[in-house]
Amino acid sequence: MLELLAYDFMQRSLLAAAMVGGLCSVIGVFVVLRGLAFVGAGTSHAAFAGVALGYLMGWPPLLLAIVFGLATVWITGWVEEKGRMKLDVSIGILYTTTMALAILFLGLMKTYNAEVYGYLFGSVLSVTSEELRVIGGLSILVLGLILLFSKELYFIAFDQEMAEASGVPARRIFFLLLTLVALTVVVSLKTVGAILVFAMILIPASTAYQLTHSLTTLTWYSVIIGVSTAVAGVLISATWDIPSGPAIVLLATTIFFLAVLFSPKHQPRVAATPCLETHRH
Amino acid sequence: MSIQKEPIIQFDHASFGFPGVLALQDISLTISAGEFVGVIGPNGSGKTTLCRAMLGLMAPLEGHLRILDCACGELRCHHRAQIGYLPQKGVVDRNFPVTVLETVMMGRYGALGLFKRAGRQDQRIALEALTHVGMENHQDTALGHLSGGQQQRVFIARALAQQPKVLLLDEPTTGLDITTQHNVIELVAQLHKELGLTVLLITHDINMIRSRVDRLVLLKTRLFASGPPAEVLKPEILRQVYGKELVITEKDLVIVEDYHHHH
Repeated sequence: MLELLAYDFMQRSLLAAAMVGGLCSVIGVFVVLRGLAFVGAGTSHAAFAGVALGYLMGWPPLLLAIVFGLATVWITGWVEEKGRMKLDVSIGILYTTTMALAILFLGLMKTYNAEVYGYLFGSVLSVTSEELRVIGGLSILVLGLILLFSKELYFIAFDQEMAEASGVPARRIFFLLLTLVALTVVVSLKTVGAILVFAMILIPASTAYQLTHSLTTLTWYSVIIGVSTAVAGVLISATWDIPSGPAIVLLATTIFFLAVLFSPKHQPRVAATPCLETHRH
Repeated sequence: MSIQKEPIIQFDHASFGFPGVLALQDISLTISAGEFVGVIGPNGSGKTTLCRAMLGLMAPLEGHLRILDCACGELRCHHRAQIGYLPQKGVVDRNFPVTVLETVMMGRYGALGLFKRAGRQDQRIALEALTHVGMENHQDTALGHLSGGQQQRVFIARALAQQPKVLLLDEPTTGLDITTQHNVIELVAQLHKELGLTVLLITHDINMIRSRVDRLVLLKTRLFASGPPAEVLKPEILRQVYGKELVITEKDLVIVEDYHHHH
């Protein structure tokens, strides 16, 4: 395995996996807590439609992925705010519409384009230096914004109305969160693909959710799980020559089920109560 | 004597709701600094609408509403932070990963404003708030592991951490057992006295608060009465609002039967 690390492509893909794993697991904390899981799925398919259109028209695919992703989350957020329909219904409609568009764009391409399918299934081992720079730049942007607004993001994830009432500009923060989800999805498209990016966002945070009662600890656990499964997944993928996306996701899922099995939060209530008595003096 | 005090919230012929379906109509009411006001009324009388209006989450359709001397549209984040709010008890997800201290620290977030990190000073304020509600020994406990009454105390502490002028409580005793209900009201009365807070308490339980508040506000879409409890809780006034659902016992307890339970 060690000799693999000497290759440039291997170093690039490990770095990409670590960045994407870290980014997805941080944004995942807010997605899981605010109940936006399905939005992540919808956005990734919308972004893929953008990529397909990009290849069809010869326009920059990542740029169109961003446009499609942002349009989807903003429409979803707007519909929820207006209370016109339930979030899962509106995202369900957008999800299937953008998927239909993606299939349409793929169908309109006269020739088979392997690169497009790379965005669907992910191909971290073929990440170029230029893509790595884009991933790095966007990761820094998204993580920076999360860090800057973390207290507001935690508050709206806990209770948006209460946040609004106590002076947090909750609506704007909610749209910021949706925007960050879309950007995260786009950043991760090339590495893990449109179908599996959703798992990268959900699984680390959900696993951490099983293990702690503290928001801060939850975030750290999520990042540790996200980065380590992404890196380990790439190493497994390269060593045994299996696709990287599934390697990462299946590894993360295994850890998730282990966490559910051994979660201290699922002990019977009787066992949980004694901590009320542990007064600190 | 409260008349000379600084007005905190002023409704002036204000109506709220949707055109055609008014939840509150022609409300004129002034809440002054330091008052302890109970808001009562039957289900659907507009209590929660009044609450949302006072939080600045709803602008009046007609008339005027001034909160902390601002119109709704002028209300900025730092104004909002001056009103500590305890929402109706929602279902707190028992597994939501948040500790007591983390919950109370959220009370600082609005007051701090964007781009500022919570520091040592904020932590001190949060711990002080926890001490006020008697939960200082539970700061690292998971919120979900607390009893209903303890959770309410933590939420009150979060409101206090905003260092508010006003404490606005929407049905703070719902879903709690009788002893805990009394303890929560007792705590609120004590905070009113010790911290000099203006307290607005919305409740359906008249007997629980009648001896504690300075003033009762009786709502049923319109403002039916506002004044000291003895003046508001007169059978002829209450009967106008509650109708047949009202029973007044020999000991002067007011019992409002829930109409829907009998049909």
